[in-house]
Amino acid sequence: MRDYWVSKLFFDLQNPAAANEYRAEPKKVLDRYPLKPEVRAAVEANDVAYLSRLVNPYQLRFYFFVAGMSEEDFLRKIRGADKEQEAAHG
Amino acid sequence: MAELVGVYAASHGPLIIRNWQNLKPADRESVSNAFSELGRRVNAARADVLIVISPDHWINFFINNLPSICVGVGEVNEGPNEPWMKDFPHREIPGHPRLAEHILNTALDHDFDPSVSHRLILDHGFCIPLWKAGIDPLPAIVPVILNDIEPPFPTVKRCYAWGKMLAAAIASFPENLRVAVMGTGGLSHSIGEPTMGRIEEDFDRDCLGLFESGKEHRLIDFLTQRLPTIGNGASEIRNWIAAHGAAGGAGFELINYKAIPEIYVGFGIAAWNINGR
Repeated sequence: MRDYWVSKLFFDLQNPAAANEYRAEPKKVLDRYPLKPEVRAAVEANDVAYLSRLVNPYQLRFYFFVAGMSEEDFLRKIRGADKEQEAAHG
Repeated sequence: MAELVGVYAASHGPLIIRNWQNLKPADRESVSNAFSELGRRVNAARADVLIVISPDHWINFFINNLPSICVGVGEVNEGPNEPWMKDFPHREIPGHPRLAEHILNTALDHDFDPSVSHRLILDHGFCIPLWKAGIDPLPAIVPVILNDIEPPFPTVKRCYAWGKMLAAAIASFPENLRVAVMGTGGLSHSIGEPTMGRIEEDFDRDCLGLFESGKEHRLIDFLTQRLPTIGNGASEIRNWIAAHGAAGGAGFELINYKAIPEIYVGFGIAAWNINGR
């Protein structure tokens, strides 16, 4: 199941001007999207594992590239996402 | 009448461009040589039109409107808008509306219901193979977007039938036109998921062996069973399957395969010997 609004945010940030604005003023951009509080918190916390359950994987990877996360950091977090999900579900 | 003059397939991983300088010299040479051979063959075919089958990587479509198949019928389509594709030499790419509309009508006659676009942005999936292969002059491009990115996907069987339909459309187009088909993407790779970076070389080689075997039912069954079990990027092999269908399911020739971790993909380039069918 996709979360529509966080997917829309990631989709819109493919526009270079939007991405620049987001990097400069992320809260201002986030305010334009009716994100659920827990989803917004995950975006603000760079919670790769949580967000991986809500969006298409290509969009997830693209978003963190735009947001400035290094490839090494993203790989470490996404490769750990399985373990985090297992822990969350007991 | 139009004539099918070539069928090809090629990987299109973005890191072929973005991480080119970090490839091992032997891998750079392998990729370059494979693309050069592809370009040599496409240029030699002297196609007037190249039908390119590729996914849309969230450039034209979003989850509010996501077609399984879309045919680009416009006079012109746009070059890639990804910033790292800025050096791609074509900002506008001529289409071929008459052939594209004939494909659309033939598809409807064959019980497909494709979406249609009069102006698409052709992302890296379309443009990396055209660019790296040095296809010059660039023929008119009829883009076909096949959804390999966001489930639910068209079935492998349906993608093969789509390719067969393309061949029928080309054969029945009432103009003298040389037409080639290229499927892009694959082979195995995984993007944005816990297996990211994993290349399933055994899967790729089994898959390539089945393409070479010409046993279409075994190939379709294999992919139908295995694609859901491996990295998401392998779904793009659907575009190779469509090319295989266009070639009549025979004549597959592997030009090069190499698992290249630095570009995250099982890199493959292939052509079909359509004269030997």
